[in-house]
Amino acid sequence: MIKYALIMLSGTFIASCSQIILKKAAEKKYPNKIAEYLNPMVMGAYLIFFGASLCSVMGYKKVPLSIGPILEATGYIWVAILGKIFLGEHISKKKGLGLLIIIAGIVIAALGVK
Amino acid sequence: MKNNLKWFVVLHIIILIFSAGSICAKTASQYEFLSLNWIIFYGILICILGFYAIAWQQVLKHLPLITTYANKAVTTLWGLVWGFAIFHEKITPLKVIGAAVVIFGVYLVVAGDEEVNAPSIDNKEAENND
Repeated sequence: MIKYALIMLSGTFIASCSQIILKKAAEKKYPNKIAEYLNPMVMGAYLIFFGASLCSVMGYKKVPLSIGPILEATGYIWVAILGKIFLGEHISKKKGLGLLIIIAGIVIAALGVK
Repeated sequence: MKNNLKWFVVLHIIILIFSAGSICAKTASQYEFLSLNWIIFYGILICILGFYAIAWQQVLKHLPLITTYANKAVTTLWGLVWGFAIFHEKITPLKVIGAAVVIFGVYLVVAGDEEVNAPSIDNKEAENND
């Protein structure tokens, strides 16, 4: 089950990467609305997101549905870390505390899997 | 106020539909990769994700970011409900406590973001007033 949980967590990380790419793409200027969506960055990000959903399906082979969305909450942690590294976004004390609490929640829920 | 309530209800309907995507993911995972049933359930999942992406943008126009993201965390509770009702999974006290702790953590994360973003908005308004 740990192997499948790791696949699911990898999917969440990949999905978080795609969010960062989308954010980067949103900061650029485009000549028209179509170019906003049909450009390599945005299309690449959605392709990556597609791959992330595949990881999710693979993970659910053994991961209980009652735990899946809790594991996917790690996305908040990845987005915060990647946002800080690639977008220079600040992590406030409150946000940092929230991220630690999310980790604690995931650990608690994981302990409840029998 | 009435309008806010309407969008709050819409928000939770969207979250409910989004959480149903995890049922499709779980169901697809029970079939052989690329079998007909796998493709059907994975296809429904992709459709739900597409619908969610569009609907979420609409809700964001009417409700604050903190409300939308903090409420989105209830998908953890829906996961417990679907797991129990459809896949006969056990709901243990630790799972429920863990889900509640995650929801509280998500609220703090989003509230922390709001705090960081709020001063920059105020500054922009002050600049505009100058």
